[in-house]
Amino acid sequence: MSAAGEHCGSGHCITCGDDGVPMTVVRVDRDRGLALCALDDGSRQTVETALVESVAPGDTLLVHAGTALVRLETAA
Amino acid sequence: MKFVDEFRDPELGRAVSGEILSLVEPGRHYKVMEVCGGHTHSIYKYGIDDLLPANVELVHGPGCPVCVIPMGRVDDGIAIAHEDGVIFTCFGDMMRVPGSNGSLMDAKAAGADIRMVYSPLDALRIAKQNPEREVVFFAIGFETTAPSTALTLKRARAEGLKNFSVMCSHVTIVPPVRALLESPDLRLDGFIGPGHVSTVVGARPFEFIPADYGRPVVIAGFEPLDILQAIQMILRQLATGRCEVENQYKRVVPYEGNLRALEVMAEVFELRPHFEWRGLGFISHSGLKLSAAYSELDAEERFAVPGVRVADPKACQCGEVLKGVIKPWECKVFGTACTPERPIGTCMVSSEGACAAYYNFGRFAREREVV
Repeated sequence: MSAAGEHCGSGHCITCGDDGVPMTVVRVDRDRGLALCALDDGSRQTVETALVESVAPGDTLLVHAGTALVRLETAA
Repeated sequence: MKFVDEFRDPELGRAVSGEILSLVEPGRHYKVMEVCGGHTHSIYKYGIDDLLPANVELVHGPGCPVCVIPMGRVDDGIAIAHEDGVIFTCFGDMMRVPGSNGSLMDAKAAGADIRMVYSPLDALRIAKQNPEREVVFFAIGFETTAPSTALTLKRARAEGLKNFSVMCSHVTIVPPVRALLESPDLRLDGFIGPGHVSTVVGARPFEFIPADYGRPVVIAGFEPLDILQAIQMILRQLATGRCEVENQYKRVVPYEGNLRALEVMAEVFELRPHFEWRGLGFISHSGLKLSAAYSELDAEERFAVPGVRVADPKACQCGEVLKGVIKPWECKVFGTACTPERPIGTCMVSSEGACAAYYNFGRFAREREVV
């Protein structure tokens, strides 16, 4: 394992779990409150979506330790 | 990349830097603390301190979740990891934090089944895949990661999972900031508030800083322009005699926070009477434990842990670094005995740690040139 995970090169460090990472929703599993999300580099992760209302494919979420904390508004 | 490139525009950066220069009073020394380790990382990655006038000093705060874990907690984790049948899971950075007798990485090398996970949900998945084993998740972090642990615990209980538990070492951001403000050896002029913690707790919990201590707070994002603008906003408050909580990171942080996250945390956790912070000592009501309703999923109830308080190594000055009293390079072992590969202190472990940020981005300069 590298010093702090290979993602640190891009400024993201999901290994340490305390960096908010913008991820794009690929698929939503409403029944289980989960969504499959992708990073810019194409890697994917299952994300808890219980804290964000009505998640849809294409949304960008700020993900922290596998949980979406907020939806990022495109117009921002 | 969306939400990123527009906040790294060098022209805009130079313009904000010029405005900062026009706001500072010559002869006055400004000390601004960035509470969050994510900001520390960005500041040194992008060289933001080089864009500031020499009399604006950035002081690095205690907001790095790995850096504040005391050695005794690491020892407790290792003790659980060595129990028969246990799979111990934690975030990658946590594996390298030294305990009194080695790190979790060393324990793994000695045969303990310790696995790195990206989220508590990953740990839950391991538990489902290994019903005959006990899976423990070492939960660390501020209010950014605590909701994730809380949701996973709710999920574990809803699914009736019996072989999953959490060793909870979550902490809260406000008590250490208050402790720093009470500290006699530190005089600060303002705070850059933590961006992502505030997506959960909102801006309101920081209102005591201007109200009780007369210091401005600006909650900021993590891109270079975010941080520069936050410094400019703090200096403008100081220049115009205002003192309040401002939100530079409105595109992400709602003033009220995330109410669902606060609700789920309130259900799953309760405050410990006190919690030990590395270098800062015991701080009242600063740590979280599982609430009575979730105690059957508490690893500290399920396994015997030594719970011994272990003093930091004598050579290590993480405490002073975490309080912003000294700069990382002023520590006796910085970059010599203590490096990211072989850390003595926690601040050298995580990429968010002030020492690691200085070391990785080559910030060894003892003096700054005037812009």
